Amino acid sequence: MGTVLSYRLASLEETIAQLSREDCQIMAGGTDLMVQHKSPMGAPARFDKPVMFIDHLKELKQIDQVNQDLHIGACCTYTEILEHPLIPNIFKVAIKQIAAPAIRNRGTLGGNICNASPAGDTLPLLYIFNAQIRLRSSKGERVVGIQDFILGPRRVDRLREEILTEIILPEMLADRIVFEKVANRRADAIAKISFAGSMRLEGGRVGEARFAFGAVGPTIVRSLDIEQKLKGEAFPLDPKVVDGVVAYFDRIITPIDDHRSTAAYRKTVALRLLRHFLETM
Amino acid sequence: MRVIKFQLNGREVETDAPPTARLIDVLRDEFAYIGSKEGCGDGECGACSVFVNTLVQNSCLIPVGAIEGAEIMTIDGFSQTELFQMISECYSEAGAVQCGFCIPGMVMASAALLSKNPHPTEEEIREGISGNLCRCTGYNMIVDAIDLAAKKGEGLW
Repeated sequence: MGTVLSYRLASLEETIAQLSREDCQIMAGGTDLMVQHKSPMGAPARFDKPVMFIDHLKELKQIDQVNQDLHIGACCTYTEILEHPLIPNIFKVAIKQIAAPAIRNRGTLGGNICNASPAGDTLPLLYIFNAQIRLRSSKGERVVGIQDFILGPRRVDRLREEILTEIILPEMLADRIVFEKVANRRADAIAKISFAGSMRLEGGRVGEARFAFGAVGPTIVRSLDIEQKLKGEAFPLDPKVVDGVVAYFDRIITPIDDHRSTAAYRKTVALRLLRHFLETM
Repeated sequence: MRVIKFQLNGREVETDAPPTARLIDVLRDEFAYIGSKEGCGDGECGACSVFVNTLVQNSCLIPVGAIEGAEIMTIDGFSQTELFQMISECYSEAGAVQCGFCIPGMVMASAALLSKNPHPTEEEIREGISGNLCRCTGYNMIVDAIDLAAKKGEGLW
């Protein structure tokens, strides 16, 4: 195999230029990649492409508000996001449940997205916030919705010459917003099920409801159809309406059995979290 | 092959280890700082905790190529400080050490917590060491030790 070639370039521009010339394994904090590519007996982690280190790039560590949108640099660590005054509180609730302080000091938001785990802890909230992903390459840039960017487990819509530079979080007005993570223990645990929901009321009726489930399918599950149908329903919701929404998700949620949980447990708990969210305010 | 330069326990050092070598291996095998332990190698046990630019991180998850120019402090370096003396004294007093394997990481997590939050509640102490596994003590004596260090070390943190 020989020694691994790697890059740690001084600027984002140089990084983008190199990515246009060579297919690289981009590495931010490395908290997922270093485990996935671990070698036995303390040998260096093995990658089949040159590694491009990006976690030192200052261009990827800004958090700014532009109009009503929050722009979060892809290499902001969980700790940096947790401690930043502009970040919505509900994101802090979710991030506090990721791993433990030492990993939060290293893992990044961009990394959590590109790792595209069905159980990624930041993903359900990013979905209901309609987060946008900005990608740059030597040819230009594009912005894509998170639900279109994540294609499946460990698969994202990123071309090899592109780099995720920032996450754009539009403002969301809600009377209630929740994030729930169900896992074996409170720290260092990967979700068996996660759930994010938001509700805005207008004169006793649902103005807007959004919800998304994690770890119950290959990608986060959200239904714009059902959210649309809930608009205008009187709140508190009629039990028949609640039953209808729960029955709908009972059909579209397809969890699996794995070493972390069972499909039956996942579905039962996911639907109960949804029901609880719809029935309470 | 490119050389990677960084600061280690206050000293300027360099290594020609491959950039994807794990920091834990470089620290132990090349620099003989064997205070940091490898427990799980997956970032779950915290026994390999070091400070990277003063922030506690798992050295088993850090590729050495990413730490160019960083300040790394291991438990070996930290043990020369007054803060360590205080933590060490309180761990002894509270009976917080049994087999000792987790202790280098626990001490680093304790120091990281106290330097950010000198008056932690019990809940905050448990959160502070939530990335560190101990299979002997049941954690209560470690929590007591950190609480003691906060009180006895008033003004130090």
